[in-house]
Amino acid sequence: MKALKTKRYFALLLAIVMVLSVALTGCGGKDDNNKDKGSTDVVGTEDTQKETDKTEDSDKGAEVEKPEKITIMVDGTLVTKDNGRDAFEAEWERLTGIDLEIIQPDHDAYYDVLGQTFASGEWPDVVLLGSTYYAGYAGEGVLWDMTETYENSDLKASGRITKENIVDGLYIDGSLYGIAPASGNGCITYVKKKWLDNVGMEAPTNYEEYIAMLDAFTNGDPDGNGIDGDTYGVSAAGLIGEEAPYMNYLPEFYQDAYPSFYKNEDGVYVDGFTEEAMVGALERLRDAYEKGYIDKESLTNGTSDCRNKFYEDKFGVFTYWAGTWATNLKNNLEANDLDGELIALEPIAEVGAYVERQAPVWAITAKAENPEGIFKYFFETMLDGAEMQRLWTYGVEGTHWSVKAEELLGVTYAEGEFHMLENLEKAGTLYKKNHIDPMLAIAAFTEFEDPGIATIEPEALESQKIFNENSKIAPLLVSTDEMSQYNGDLTTLKKEIVANVVTQGMSIEDEMKRFEEAGGAEWSQLIVDSLNALGN
Amino acid sequence: MSDNKAVTKSTKRNLLSRIVKYRWFYLMFLPVFVFAILFYYAPMLGIRLAFTDFKGVKDPIYVGLANFEKMFKMQGFWDAFFNTLQISGLKLIINTFGAVILSLLLNEVVNLKYKKAAQTIVYLPHFFSWVVAASIFGLILAPSQQGLVNSFLTNIGIIEKGQEIYFLGNNKLWRPVYYVINAWRDTGWGTIIFMATLAGIDTEIYEAASIDGAGRFQKIRFITVPALVNTIATVLVLNLAKIMNLFESVFVFQNDAVIRQSDVLQTYIYRQTFNSGALPNYGYTTAVGLVKSLVGALLVIMCNQISKKLRGRGIV
Repeated sequence: MKALKTKRYFALLLAIVMVLSVALTGCGGKDDNNKDKGSTDVVGTEDTQKETDKTEDSDKGAEVEKPEKITIMVDGTLVTKDNGRDAFEAEWERLTGIDLEIIQPDHDAYYDVLGQTFASGEWPDVVLLGSTYYAGYAGEGVLWDMTETYENSDLKASGRITKENIVDGLYIDGSLYGIAPASGNGCITYVKKKWLDNVGMEAPTNYEEYIAMLDAFTNGDPDGNGIDGDTYGVSAAGLIGEEAPYMNYLPEFYQDAYPSFYKNEDGVYVDGFTEEAMVGALERLRDAYEKGYIDKESLTNGTSDCRNKFYEDKFGVFTYWAGTWATNLKNNLEANDLDGELIALEPIAEVGAYVERQAPVWAITAKAENPEGIFKYFFETMLDGAEMQRLWTYGVEGTHWSVKAEELLGVTYAEGEFHMLENLEKAGTLYKKNHIDPMLAIAAFTEFEDPGIATIEPEALESQKIFNENSKIAPLLVSTDEMSQYNGDLTTLKKEIVANVVTQGMSIEDEMKRFEEAGGAEWSQLIVDSLNALGN
Repeated sequence: MSDNKAVTKSTKRNLLSRIVKYRWFYLMFLPVFVFAILFYYAPMLGIRLAFTDFKGVKDPIYVGLANFEKMFKMQGFWDAFFNTLQISGLKLIINTFGAVILSLLLNEVVNLKYKKAAQTIVYLPHFFSWVVAASIFGLILAPSQQGLVNSFLTNIGIIEKGQEIYFLGNNKLWRPVYYVINAWRDTGWGTIIFMATLAGIDTEIYEAASIDGAGRFQKIRFITVPALVNTIATVLVLNLAKIMNLFESVFVFQNDAVIRQSDVLQTYIYRQTFNSGALPNYGYTTAVGLVKSLVGALLVIMCNQISKKLRGRGIV
């Protein structure tokens, strides 16, 4: 009797749980809908603006309808709310006459929120995606195929795009699902000029010279403090990276080895980790680590640890981001009363080219009601070579930049001189850019000269120029079922093997054998087969 | 039959009248009840994902037990599973008995001010977040002369300069170092419950023992320790139920060289979700999470039984 009653209560409890959860799920959905509707109602376009739009539409081609509203989801690479995003939004709406809704989760939680948004079914019109997510969501049918629209677009026909290879690299299985307004940038090797002078060496051009330099930096007295051997050559945040291109912090050791999947010269996908070149890379890394050329703490270093050690003059060679970081590194060294002159190396002969990461991509979601209109008014305008591109690159006049005569943080600017304004969030510093890095933009300004290019420090321009001229883009991989199933375990195993060989004294043969025994070779082959089966 | 019905009716009436009588208590309990339903039970519906292939966008595809089959074939899962039991189990034993020893030592301190100060000092590390603890020990254990431990070992001649030990990057040393750091952080905090038990021991027993000629160690052995046994068992049993929950303390000290020694189920799930280089299969990670929860539930039931035997009452 008692047991029966307990069962009844239990059944009742379960029923309540089920009903509540279903009801709550429904409630959530309704709320979201209402919120969206509410926000659509709040901001409306002016009648006069609509008239102007109609005229523009008829001029530019009546077949593309101008959207009334575009909802975008973006991470912290666009100016944030506290940094004048409202001014950006107002200016964007003024230039287009379209209502823009910006959803900007915390930068660190961006992909969590994005995933939840897609799972909820309430998709924004436009999203910003890193390469893994771009390929993954494209494969899941989340993104609108813009191939034809792009091919026939004014943007492509305009000739403004100066880096077509960036767009070409975004094609998946012959289809384009997004546009990157800027290249992804990558790491370039910086060498302290003073250290080279102190050991009487020139900048290296091949691996032999590179190793000789590391040896001199490790066993000599490159910092000139009178003590031999209290410094080391190079440091890195990990011996192998967390994401493509994986080897960008130690390119001189990896050389032609790529520890992940890529399409080889025959157009076939392979796993670079299983190729002979990887064995060579492991040998070079192990030898350099054993000799003390590579920072012993590379396994546990974060990037900030490496930067701090570099500023403290503990090592002399640092492979880090090209462009603005050249200036940051120089300034921080000088702040520590050290010589800030850095040589940005062209890739040594064995490296050939630095690897550029895939750029974040703007894409239109498959549920967007008017994707052609969004492409025309959001994507094409972003790279219009004029006011809108300036807005995406430098922000809003009066909020993020100015041409007024004024004194700012100890610097006097003349009337008409373009300069960035003080950062609203970080007092005492100036803005550097908005969403598009002027040194990485894939399209040039055509209506007027790039207003801010003169404000960029020469060392940043120099390092970016060397990188741009000597880099290739990391392969873009489609996310297959096999990759979802096995790549997590496979990547862990690969990283463990690299660490074991380089830092734990394990032999390459034994570890490669373990790679096979632990299932790595099988998972790798399954993923390779799935990629090749796509027929890219 | 009619008697039974009458009894049921009367019981129902009793229940109703009790609810009416204690309605304000029930009302006070209502928010807690709703909270538990919403945030503990409703999310359990997500368990069904363990039987699907789900990448977070399209509708989940039912795959039966495929995720579990894959999981049981993966060496990574088994490594993480056994590591969780080993690391968590040993950590529990070290921390508990460390706390007992520390409590006994603190209990012997006569100077009250010194005792309070010592207690405060040993409690403090518990309030450091694991991220801060990782930074501190990263510096202390650095494999260079800047690292406090290596510098000390060099100065006393155990190692030579240039032969510094990479404590956190060595797969043989990682676990011992991990246990020491855990003991540093949590042993002091663990003394609270033992100190409370020690405070409850009748001082007359000690006085009687002294009259009988017992020394300090004899009093500890024959009075203090026996008084603590029940508490030690309770603490062990209560914490045993939680040993599957291990994440931050491992995650912040993990690196590529020690992954096989340090990977636990929650870090395994994390990596499968965020570091796969592809859209994660939430079905698989939910399956791993489900197995972890089931083992945890089994441990709770087991502990409940042990607790019933030891204390005469369960923990749930």
